[in-house]
Amino acid sequence: MKRVILYVLYISLLAGCGAPAAGSGEEPETVQLIAMDTVMTFAAYGDRAAEAVVQAAEEMERMERILSRTLPNSEVARLNAVGSAHTGPEVQRLAEASSHYREATGGAFDITVAPVVSAWGFTTDSFQVPSDAELAKLLPLVDGSAVRVDESGTVTLGPGQSIDLGGIAKGYASDLTAALYASAGIERGKAELGGNVLAWGTRPDGKPWRVGIKDPARPDDGNAFAGIVELEDSVAITSGGYQRFFEENGTRYHHIIDPSTGYPAESGLTSVTVVAKADGSGTRLNGAMCDAYSTALFIMGEDRALDFWRTHQARTDYEDAFDLVLVTEDGRVVVTAGLSDRFEPSEDSGYVYETAS
Amino acid sequence: MRTRELTVCGLLTAVALALSYLENLFPLAVAIPIPGVKLGLANIVTVFVLYAMGADRAFLVLAARCLLGAMFAGNMNALLFSLLGGFSAMAVMSVLSRLRGLSVYGVSMGGAAAHSCGQIAAALLSLGSLAPLYYLPVLLVVSLFTGALTGLVSACLFKGLGHVNLKVTEAD
Amino acid sequence: MKRRPRLRPTPWDGVTAALILALAVGCGALFRGGAPEGGTAVVSIAGEEVDRFSLADAGEREYTANGYHLHVTVTDGSVRVTEADCPTQDCVHTGAITRSGQSIVCLPGRFILRLEGGSSDNTGVDAVLG
Repeated sequence: MKRVILYVLYISLLAGCGAPAAGSGEEPETVQLIAMDTVMTFAAYGDRAAEAVVQAAEEMERMERILSRTLPNSEVARLNAVGSAHTGPEVQRLAEASSHYREATGGAFDITVAPVVSAWGFTTDSFQVPSDAELAKLLPLVDGSAVRVDESGTVTLGPGQSIDLGGIAKGYASDLTAALYASAGIERGKAELGGNVLAWGTRPDGKPWRVGIKDPARPDDGNAFAGIVELEDSVAITSGGYQRFFEENGTRYHHIIDPSTGYPAESGLTSVTVVAKADGSGTRLNGAMCDAYSTALFIMGEDRALDFWRTHQARTDYEDAFDLVLVTEDGRVVVTAGLSDRFEPSEDSGYVYETAS
Repeated sequence: MRTRELTVCGLLTAVALALSYLENLFPLAVAIPIPGVKLGLANIVTVFVLYAMGADRAFLVLAARCLLGAMFAGNMNALLFSLLGGFSAMAVMSVLSRLRGLSVYGVSMGGAAAHSCGQIAAALLSLGSLAPLYYLPVLLVVSLFTGALTGLVSACLFKGLGHVNLKVTEAD
Repeated sequence: MKRRPRLRPTPWDGVTAALILALAVGCGALFRGGAPEGGTAVVSIAGEEVDRFSLADAGEREYTANGYHLHVTVTDGSVRVTEADCPTQDCVHTGAITRSGQSIVCLPGRFILRLEGGSSDNTGVDAVLG
């Protein structure tokens, strides 16, 4: 009798040991939170998935406390208040990266556009069209070349300037998430940071993550896409005028302000998606780059955006190559060559699809 | 309770625990997305102890299994599921096993069905909504198969162990 | 052995099985056509879970989130924010959600209503850009 029972016990234990550990099954660990004025969802698979997503969420809350322009005690708010301050590594790094992106885009991306964005009310949700006189007063303050980061880590703004890292912070958040996933040994996961996507590894079935690009013409329909990109170890970020806007006297004003005019950009584009490799080593800020370039290329328009893409196809010391999906006002979707075989048009969208090379 | 009997109970508890862990391998969540609902393979042990050692010992083994299982899982929510499922099954089986017409198969199927009802009751309590009731029919059909399986395994066990007297208190 | 069990199936076993099957069919008929579609809605405000309800429980619900007031309507396995006094109104514009993984969010209220369980999102995408 004993022998039989022991045998049964032994078999059951063996079977039990062979069972996959909790967390490595098909169901991901997920955390959803609101940070940096957006909804963030982290999902990861694997033994340390729970730890990784919680860490990511905590990191986002920490970033918000540092980078927010509206929290009075954040590093950015203090810097804006006093004009020159010793800041932590995050603000320094983003300020340096921002000046690189500003130069690369000929000023289309500029973090010193902050006072103008505030004048439109996009910082506080109290929307208004600023007067020409007010804009004329504020526009001279927009000049990112005046922002200095010295070796001791002190960031200094030009007189009267203030900065907003909102156009780069969410992309940076996906860089931080990639680094966290990498150091936790996560092989598969994803993060959605207010419509920005980190596709880490592949899906559990080994296929690339399918990421829908919201149709700018139907933003309220969650199932309406301008197309679907298949991503693996990638970051992707979309900027579009439909994301935040208000209407006054029948005119629609969106949140992507052209630093050269002080008005919402009218470039013929309705959305710009920038896709690049995700870097888990923490050395490259490809997410921040995609974030900055999606805004800048939206302002620059289709022709200048494609020229920009053509001149940035090589990996440099500072950044990796990237690809674009442009949605135009006249009903076209332009996909750059590097992405065309990973792009799936949406049949019912009514768009005409083109490949740029 | 003699030492030998206590030892046998302990071993059977361990087998029951191992079986309830084994259940995690079945992707029941695909059909029934309620966390905590299980197939009830550990009922094999309940059936066995019920016949071999009587209802009082079956009760003890079951209680030990539920408590230890919840402790190992570190999840007190699971305790509610295994208690309600396990004891519903145990109660129904101890009644059914007194009916002369039923074989170990019928008893096991009745137990498995009661296990399903008990777990759905646990889900109703823990989720505080009526939604789990929609899964009861599916779970009942599944319990026909798990019940038959439990019956088969128990029948094999009894064939092999028919000559062994586990309830030593009176016999010794 | 305390009691010697019957080891071969008897006709009465068949009757037991038939009774269980009848019970399953009976319950199926009784609870048919309802909730499994949507599963459970989980409501969190400022990171704290404040409510959890099944989409089978049709009705009206009220939440106060960060000073804003949201009115939630549950019908037919779907849920939507029907009224809110927040400035952005994104939660109202989101409309009805029905599938696991979908969520309604009110940023100013730090309010998230997320669907769990039930059938999952079948739009064929894993994430959405923009």
